[in-house]
Amino acid sequence: MIKVQDLTKSYGGTLAIQSLNFEVKKGEVVGFLGPNGAGKSTTMKIITGFMAPTSGQASVAGFDVFESPIEVKKRIGYLPETPPVYTDMKVAEYLSYVAELKGVPSREIKKHVEQAIDKTNLGDVQKRLIYGLSKGFKQRVGLAQALVSNPEVLILDEPTVGLDPKQVAEIRSLIQELRGHHTVILSTHILPEVQATCERVIIINRGTIVAQDSLQNLSSLQGGARKVHLKIKKENQDVGSVLKALPGVLKVLPGATANDWIMDTQEKDDVIEAIASTVIQKGYGLLEISSAKIDLEDIFLKLTYGEKNV
Amino acid sequence: MSKVLAIYKKEFKGFLFSPTFYIVCALIAIIFSFIYPSVLNKFAEALQMGMFTPDMGQQQMNIHYQVFLPQLNILNLMLIMIVPALTMRLFAEEKKMRTFDLLLTSPVTSAQIVAGKYLAVLTAVFGLCLIAILYPLATAFFTKLQWGSLWIAFFSIFAAGAVYAAVDLFCSSLTESGIIAYVLAVVLNMGLWFVGIGVDAVDNPMLRAVFEHISINQHLVSLVEGSVRTSSLVFLASVIFLFCFLCERVVEASRWRS
Repeated sequence: MIKVQDLTKSYGGTLAIQSLNFEVKKGEVVGFLGPNGAGKSTTMKIITGFMAPTSGQASVAGFDVFESPIEVKKRIGYLPETPPVYTDMKVAEYLSYVAELKGVPSREIKKHVEQAIDKTNLGDVQKRLIYGLSKGFKQRVGLAQALVSNPEVLILDEPTVGLDPKQVAEIRSLIQELRGHHTVILSTHILPEVQATCERVIIINRGTIVAQDSLQNLSSLQGGARKVHLKIKKENQDVGSVLKALPGVLKVLPGATANDWIMDTQEKDDVIEAIASTVIQKGYGLLEISSAKIDLEDIFLKLTYGEKNV
Repeated sequence: MSKVLAIYKKEFKGFLFSPTFYIVCALIAIIFSFIYPSVLNKFAEALQMGMFTPDMGQQQMNIHYQVFLPQLNILNLMLIMIVPALTMRLFAEEKKMRTFDLLLTSPVTSAQIVAGKYLAVLTAVFGLCLIAILYPLATAFFTKLQWGSLWIAFFSIFAAGAVYAAVDLFCSSLTESGIIAYVLAVVLNMGLWFVGIGVDAVDNPMLRAVFEHISINQHLVSLVEGSVRTSSLVFLASVIFLFCFLCERVVEASRWRS
């Protein structure tokens, strides 16, 4: 549905994104993840035809964003970082204006507006001026605006910014409902959002893609599938090298205090058993051992900030 | 076309629901209500005097020259100040409020955006001219008027307003700030008017002819007097087209830069 090839954009010499390549299939919900300033918004703006790339190509539904921008824009609903709302218009009036702009036939505008209002729970405020709405409501109006033409592709730039936890949950479940009917690209730097809504993640850092895969694959991609946290009684410098020598232990790092150790290990139960028995045999004084699957956050931090800061 | 109409309707509604438009209308009505009757009164007095001075000039006896033309000149001066007030927010505010993103990511061309907005301003300017023409219409109750030349005169002032609208819309597209758009627009409007001074400032006959042709004033004077020249119509239409085209280029360029 969306295909991006060698996409590069520079702002007067500063490269915002560098030869990006990715593809999004029909009906997929893809998370576009990266720290602030990684080039997420730039990429989205290019895909929506809002901005021209310096080089490379992007196409939506087989139409090049550059060659046939109108065809592309007909198929896209876009929620920019700041919701593009006219504060002097009423919610329903604004949505029907957007529907008209997006080329919804005049007979169907009313139906489309009602659906969008329904989906985003704006029923209570539809007759109010957007000027007086709270930030969360404005954000929802922005989302309704992206949905109103019932587009094949939805591009959402940080859709849950400024919403309260209940609204965030609502928006996330809304995005999950869209799966299958719409192709969705969701940019965010909030990890739980990706975990809650997306099937696939594209992680971008300093303008280049550092990883793109399904959530499951990404977790096992980084070698260490498990994180083992160990707390011992004695302070001992040898512990690190002893543990490192065990089969299945990939990496040992000192923890918060001299008694804490953190290990990346393979995903086998034997490894934990081996660690526990070694600690006991050596008489380090085992206080606590716990293991957790490596979560997206670790992967994200590793990929974007490098290993040493993890 | 339906998209031009959508933008047109939205912007025109914007005028109708904003206080600016009404303030401007009220301003025109108040100023003319003061000036017009006194000018008319003076003209009537002069006519009575004229009965005793048979060698009085033709122009001095004519209500067009003595009453309507001064009114149109005042209206023109007001349009120079007022049209920028109507246009200043059209692009500048869209950019500032980031709603420009919506227009640029919707399936509309830059030309459609400019056309929709321009037609909306044009309608508003037409409304202002309608208020002004009420005064000569009221005069028709007391005297017989030459309708043809009156309509042409008002058409000419509407044409001037249309030129300002195009220029000012272009100014609005250049900046994010409404105030800068307003000031720039007033300066350009005055520039269009005063370029005619060049006629007196240069000696070279060719330059003089050029100045004469590009001075909007020269073209309007003949129109206001009731004579329609094709060259004037073509010139006014070209200026309107030129600035709408420039405006379209600026909108298009914002898809490339930013």
